[in-house]
Amino acid sequence: MSVAIITGSSRGLGRALAETLLAEGWIVHGFARSVQSLAHPRFQPHVVDVGDEASVHAAVAAVLAAAGRVDLLINNAGAASMNALLLTPAATAAALMRVNYLGAWHCLQAVGKAMVRQRAGLVINLTTVAVPLALSGEAAYVASKAAVEALTKVAAAELQGQGVRVNAVGLGPLDTDLTRAVGAEKLAVLNQRIGRPRGTLLAEAVDFIAQEWRQPTSASGTIRYLGQLT
Amino acid sequence: MVPFTRDAAVRLVLARLALLGQELGKPALAQADEQTRLFGEASPLDSIGLVTLMADLEEDIFQATGRRITIADEKAMSRLTSPFRRVGLLADHIVELVHSSHA
Repeated sequence: MSVAIITGSSRGLGRALAETLLAEGWIVHGFARSVQSLAHPRFQPHVVDVGDEASVHAAVAAVLAAAGRVDLLINNAGAASMNALLLTPAATAAALMRVNYLGAWHCLQAVGKAMVRQRAGLVINLTTVAVPLALSGEAAYVASKAAVEALTKVAAAELQGQGVRVNAVGLGPLDTDLTRAVGAEKLAVLNQRIGRPRGTLLAEAVDFIAQEWRQPTSASGTIRYLGQLT
Repeated sequence: MVPFTRDAAVRLVLARLALLGQELGKPALAQADEQTRLFGEASPLDSIGLVTLMADLEEDIFQATGRRITIADEKAMSRLTSPFRRVGLLADHIVELVHSSHA
């Protein structure tokens, strides 16, 4: 049975991804800072702060002790902050880098070693259409996700020879806690720019991401964005 | 548990190099000894091979000692004489890490 780790699995997209993988027969280990309510015989919750290296490495060691392998890592945990560049406190930029970039970094390092030992594995990093759009008002968030995209490409180049694929998937706004603070008008403009004027349902986002594990391919280092970027 | 000795560390590294040699099609790795270079032009390993060696060895060490260590730690990276230069130096470094780690 295949084994997955999903970060940020307590709610929103992370939880939906966990439920999808469970429905498809996977064993799922969910990393989140808070207690998780998802109950399933093949779901194992872990209390993890992805920005803390020791916390991540301890949790991954626990997964390996229990499951013996990791076939799929989804770096989904993320934080967002919308503010003009000149009004964004440096502490906010640092906090976003810690969760979005370093969180992916720590998980990739810890799980990547296991995948190299297996000579197989798939890592999916979550990014955003806001990066190619260079979206105004999201400098700290966009920069942290751009770092994730760069990490994706370098990791893919370094690990491909050992059978480990690393790809990124970029989404537009979804109806989750992450976008709740964004005004409806701004969301509508953004959805228009990516060619999805009606917005994106959670299930559509899950299907888009799931192509990475449902459709086996040797592609690594790719970054796919949902929608038509204009 | 039996103390983890330098000889044991050397044996682990050489055994893993031999296995990697089979996998990478580099039979010379089966003839490695304590003086074998692990990186640089004189090494039979490329950078990906070195990374793979470290990842595999960390698991080998865990299986042998019950200790989880990170071979490429901050201390190793900042040393004047890199512990990754030769097999013997790597074995010294591994023994130090195992002895300073917690079960």
